[in-house]
Amino acid sequence: MTSRRGFLAGILATGLAPSATWADAGAPDYLSAGQGADGSHALFGLSGDGAIRFRHPLPGRGHAAAAHPHRAQAVGFARRPGTFAFVLDCVTGQTVAEFTAPPGRHFYGHGVLSRDGARLYTPENDYDNAAGVIGVWDAAAGYRRLGEFASAGVGPHDIRLMPDGVTLVVANGGIETHPDSGRAKLNIPLMQPSLVYLTLEGEVLEAVALEPALHMNSIRHLDLRGDGLVGFAMQWQGGQGDLPPVLGTHRRGGAPHLLGAAAGIADQMNGYGGSVAFSGDGTLLAVSSPRGGRVQAYDVETGELAQNLTMEDVCGLGAAPGGFIASSGTGTLVRLEAGGIIPIDRAPVRWDNHLVRLTGA
Amino acid sequence: MRYLISVLVAAVLSLIALSAQAGERTGAILDRHVLPGMRMLAETSTALGRAARADCAADSAALRRAFGAALDAWIAVSHLRFGPAETEARGFALAFWPDTRGMTPKTLRSLIAAEDPVVQTPEGFATVSVAGRGFYALELLLYDPEIAAPGSEAYRCALTRAIAADVAATAADLAADWQEHYAALMRNPGAGGPYQTDEEVLQEFFKVLTTGLEINADLRLGRPMGQIGKPRPLRAEARRSGRSLRHVVVSLVSLRQLAGLLAGDDTDLSGRMDHAFATALDRADRLDDPVFAGVATPQGRLRAEVLQQAIGAIRTEANEYMGPALGVAAGFNSLDGD
Repeated sequence: MTSRRGFLAGILATGLAPSATWADAGAPDYLSAGQGADGSHALFGLSGDGAIRFRHPLPGRGHAAAAHPHRAQAVGFARRPGTFAFVLDCVTGQTVAEFTAPPGRHFYGHGVLSRDGARLYTPENDYDNAAGVIGVWDAAAGYRRLGEFASAGVGPHDIRLMPDGVTLVVANGGIETHPDSGRAKLNIPLMQPSLVYLTLEGEVLEAVALEPALHMNSIRHLDLRGDGLVGFAMQWQGGQGDLPPVLGTHRRGGAPHLLGAAAGIADQMNGYGGSVAFSGDGTLLAVSSPRGGRVQAYDVETGELAQNLTMEDVCGLGAAPGGFIASSGTGTLVRLEAGGIIPIDRAPVRWDNHLVRLTGA
Repeated sequence: MRYLISVLVAAVLSLIALSAQAGERTGAILDRHVLPGMRMLAETSTALGRAARADCAADSAALRRAFGAALDAWIAVSHLRFGPAETEARGFALAFWPDTRGMTPKTLRSLIAAEDPVVQTPEGFATVSVAGRGFYALELLLYDPEIAAPGSEAYRCALTRAIAADVAATAADLAADWQEHYAALMRNPGAGGPYQTDEEVLQEFFKVLTTGLEINADLRLGRPMGQIGKPRPLRAEARRSGRSLRHVVVSLVSLRQLAGLLAGDDTDLSGRMDHAFATALDRADRLDDPVFAGVATPQGRLRAEVLQQAIGAIRTEANEYMGPALGVAAGFNSLDGD
């Protein structure tokens, strides 16, 4: 007997599915995982003004998700070091495909689809070799594994498709972990994080490292501006005595540029950048710190601190027309604008790490 | 109004009392746990340096004894990986483990093969990669036939002495930093220092307590246990010197003392924690598998897992009962670390 799930996956695989679009799912601007008051986990579609457009149950705690560019589908991943991924139809809430990392690999909670939606790229840990890889999946044919290539670093975390549509940018966090040791960090004194640009076939185009004194600043999360400027958030693994900045920008061919190095300013972030986002107009770059309970936004051109706001357990960040939206683990959803914090909603939802922007909607 | 004032006064007094208690607990942790532990590390490491100067032979009983005493002292304070241990990467310089890519044998082999003159001065040796320094490098030189055999005896002797002297100097710096500088910052939290309140100081100690438990469960036990059907007994910490299980025990005994001091006069909490530690130490005692070689068999792995779970149970008690009592906020995202 064909199960409904199997049936749906089957017709999707044939490419004959009447593809529902994001408009059919309420035209959300963001996806975010969250935990409801009853402890259950769900994936939410949110509009830019914070309205919940859909809410579909998840089997466990989420991290980030990869949004399909036109079909109303989100690929969700079990939290690091999970090996399980699923594809959610955001109109019906049905799981339309499930797939697992190959033996010897686990996901990092992030992924990105190609512009035509045919391929999914997932940062993975080849843990017995302490090497990062990018898994390639056929998103048009039931998420079949097509292959993988090296991420040219250890611990690849976030991944984005550059505006040219043919280049991937990967944040290699540099931290070696192995499922035998849970989430314990195994190589802190020797870690070498990097920002790496690759072709869709895995050819390394450019690898960027921070200065040696900052080799313990793990590059984890990314956001892109339309002109190809990359914003990255970092998590410091060194001593708490002398905290470095946790935010930077990079443009292909140039040197990385760090923001927020001033003493007192860097300290406020507690060495921990959670999410990073460009503002709606692209003039500002913000970083959140759940550990510092802060969001700092910088003028991208001048490097000046433009906004410095406190918000308990803040993590999710996204662009909004007047600046940013931000979410927190305490259930707060706010707009961050030049005038300060504008509350949108206080839902009984503990918002998880990231707001995933839907660009192709 | 008078009633209100008396209520307010009582509230303020109880806040002061709470803070005084927190300060007393900090004092007790520093005076009975941290500073004596650091003194012991410095003394035994100095003795290790002396023993290496007197006799650098890998099989010297006196040198091996001194090595064991100093490494015991390090394991007992190895959870205190903040502040002075982070300064100049002292913690890693003393203890580069786990060594997932075999960097320590690689570094030692290349020093020995090249007869690298870097061993001739303490300043020179301090520039060697942390993988070639510290207790785990010395363990290979003393106990691993593949490291203790090649090259010239004279060079291996110089290298043994250089590592021992470097350990002694690093341990002395670490202990002095605590004694002369960092203990005062924890005793007197406030503006301009790393801690603003007594509660933040206690939270730092709570954090290292839970991290220390995690290292025992996930690294010291988890690495050799490997996945089911794929045991990795050769990953056991300090297996060549037969010290793998001993390190778990030494660490648990030390963490038990820290937990007791953190609980202060909350007898319910201290009783709860002490019971969990006693159970784990009892499991360790019964394991009778000094280098976790037994994990290669399903039964042996199961027995190691029983100990691992008992350590996990201490962590659960700490997170559920001690964390809230110390005002540790369990933020959905701030504690996620992803």
